[in-house]
Order: sequence, then C-alpha cells, then structure tokens
Amino acid sequence: MNDLSFDNWTTQLRKGLLELAVLNTIADAPLYGYEIVRRLSDVDHLVITEGTVYPILSRLKNSGLVDTYLQESQEGPPRKYYRLTPRGRDDLHRMNQHWESLHHAIGSLRKERKR
Amino acid sequence: MTEMTPAARERLDNYLQRMRTELRGTRSVVADEVEQSVREHIEIALAEAQGPIGATEVIGVLDRLGPPERWLADEERPAWRQFMDRIRTAPDDWRLAYLAFAMFLLSMLLFPAVGPMLIIPAMIVSRAYVELARDRGEPLGARRWLVYPSIAVVLAIATGLLIIGPPLGFMAMMFDHRFDQIFDVPSSEFGRIRFTAGFGGVLFGSWWILAAAFCAAFLRPIRFVFAPLLDGLRRKHFAVLAAIGAVVAAAGATLIYYRY
Repeated sequence: MNDLSFDNWTTQLRKGLLELAVLNTIADAPLYGYEIVRRLSDVDHLVITEGTVYPILSRLKNSGLVDTYLQESQEGPPRKYYRLTPRGRDDLHRMNQHWESLHHAIGSLRKERKR
Repeated sequence: MTEMTPAARERLDNYLQRMRTELRGTRSVVADEVEQSVREHIEIALAEAQGPIGATEVIGVLDRLGPPERWLADEERPAWRQFMDRIRTAPDDWRLAYLAFAMFLLSMLLFPAVGPMLIIPAMIVSRAYVELARDRGEPLGARRWLVYPSIAVVLAIATGLLIIGPPLGFMAMMFDHRFDQIFDVPSSEFGRIRFTAGFGGVLFGSWWILAAAFCAAFLRPIRFVFAPLLDGLRRKHFAVLAAIGAVVAAAGATLIYYRY
C-alpha cells in the first residue's frame, strides 16, 4: 500500500470511528463541545482537525442519539452540554459490542498469520 | 465575543464565512448549530488570552479546528457541491468533461431564457474534449455521457432548423401576403387545401434538394463540427434526403396541377 492509499485508509477508518468515540466520551457524564474535543484530541491519531467533531455532534443530535442543554459558566457565556438520550445509550451499547467483535475478529486473523 | 484586533476579527470572520458556505445545504447537519458550537469553542479556547486577541492566537485556534472543507464526509455534502468538487479536483482527464456537462445542465435549466446561448459554448467545450481525447489516442469511455449531450442537442436543433426552418418561414410569409392574390388558388375549400399542401410539398421538397446539395458539398466541415456523432455521415445520406425532396416536390407539383 503506498502512502496515499494508506492515508486514505486511515482517514476513512478515523471518520468511521469518530462517531463511536464521541458517544463514548459523553457516556458517563454530559460534556460541552470544547471539552469533548479536548478529550478526543488527547487520543493519538483520532482527531486530526478538531472542527470535525462539531458536525458529528450536530448529526448525532439530529438522529436523536444526543440532546443538548445550556448551562451557565463562571468563565464566560453559557455552555452547550451534550448528553446521551436513552436511544443513544442503546445504540452506543450495540456499537461497542460490534466494535469489540470486529476487534476480536481482526485480532484472531493476526494471530493465525503469526503461527 | 472576546475583544480582538481588526486583523484577528477579519481572520475569524473569513473562517466562519467559509464554514457557513461549506455547511450550507447539508441535510444531516444543522449549519447554525455547528456555527454556534464552533463560536463557543473559539471563545473558550481564547478565554485565557490577555488584552485584545491578535491574529496569531486566532490563527492557532483555527488551525487546530482545521479547514471546514474537510469536516464533512463526501456523502454528507450536497450533490451540487460534490459535483463542483469533482470539476475542481478531478483528474485533468475528467475535469473538462465535467465542465462541459455542467455547462450543458445549466443551459437546459435556463433553456427558455439564456439556455440557447449557453448550449453553444457547452458544445464547443465538449468538442474540444473530444479532440483532446483523439489527440491522445484515448477512447472516451464513460466520459462520452458527459460530452455527448451538448453536441447531440445542438445537432438536433441544427437538423430541425435545416429541414423545416426556411420553407416553413417562407410559407408563413406567403400566407401573410395572401398568396391567393399571387397564385391561381381555387375558391373551393377542398381546392384550397390541395393547393396549400401542393405548395408546401414543392417548397419543402425543393428546399431539401438544395440543402442536401449544400451539405454534400460541405460534408467534411459538417462532420468535423458534430464529431464524433456524425463520423458515419456520408454523401449517400444526403442523396437519400435529395431523393425524398424530389418525391415530395413532385407530389406537391401534382397536387397543384390537379388542384381543380
């Protein structure tokens, strides 16, 4: 695989996984956009351009997986918090299970190749 | 929003404008909502800066946000934007073909108004593309679906004008001048119909003979202008048109002769 194909492959993979990553970030507690971006940026190779996260949040809200509310902040204007809806929580559970099984399947293939 | 220098404000405004343009028409994303979130992001990111914020700080935040043109997956973008991007970023081999098709579509959309004027440039671009492919010795392949439509439409219009345009115009002019004053037209309804049909037959038939002769004489330029659609055009095709013209003209003359 040449560099161009590899870059394209990683871009596609990242785009596919970013939605799952965003949902997992807010699974435990609601977070505002900047904080979500900051947490995702701490994960190596996941977020190349921070702005990518905002259209994903908008799409997740449109799909009914996430909803938002405003909360006052002492450090500036009110912040928009994102939290999972019950449907979002169900979908995230299924997505995580699917990811686990994929990860397991790829791992098995790699083990077979090493033998 | 945070106090900024004019240069920083200009940078930010330009960026937000690019973002709005990029998100406009996207169905899965609410553009206003994204803009609001991005503004909030920028404000928080710059919150700790002291005094009026300069362009350098703003550029740093915007660079981390990245170009809005890369935020959306291709399939999320409106169809027209995907199409424009293909024109812009397609391999050179395809770019001109996409441009030709875009011009063709535009001419069709604006057909009653300025469309007829746009179809000619669209055809010229298509023809240029056909010649380019020929010079390179490349088959057009699927690209023919992008370049043929404009050539086909101009060919259809030109053929229509050539076949019926002049004789129809001449007949209309004759009716305007009450041609029963010029010719010996029967007074009965049946006689008038026979004469009119006969007159039309002679006019159309004669014109087709003339047009066939003219086109046969200029066969190569005609083939060149409408290539590759008329690559198979031969003089015998115009001989057929002339023969049909002769038959129609003879039938018309017969109707006029036996009009009473």
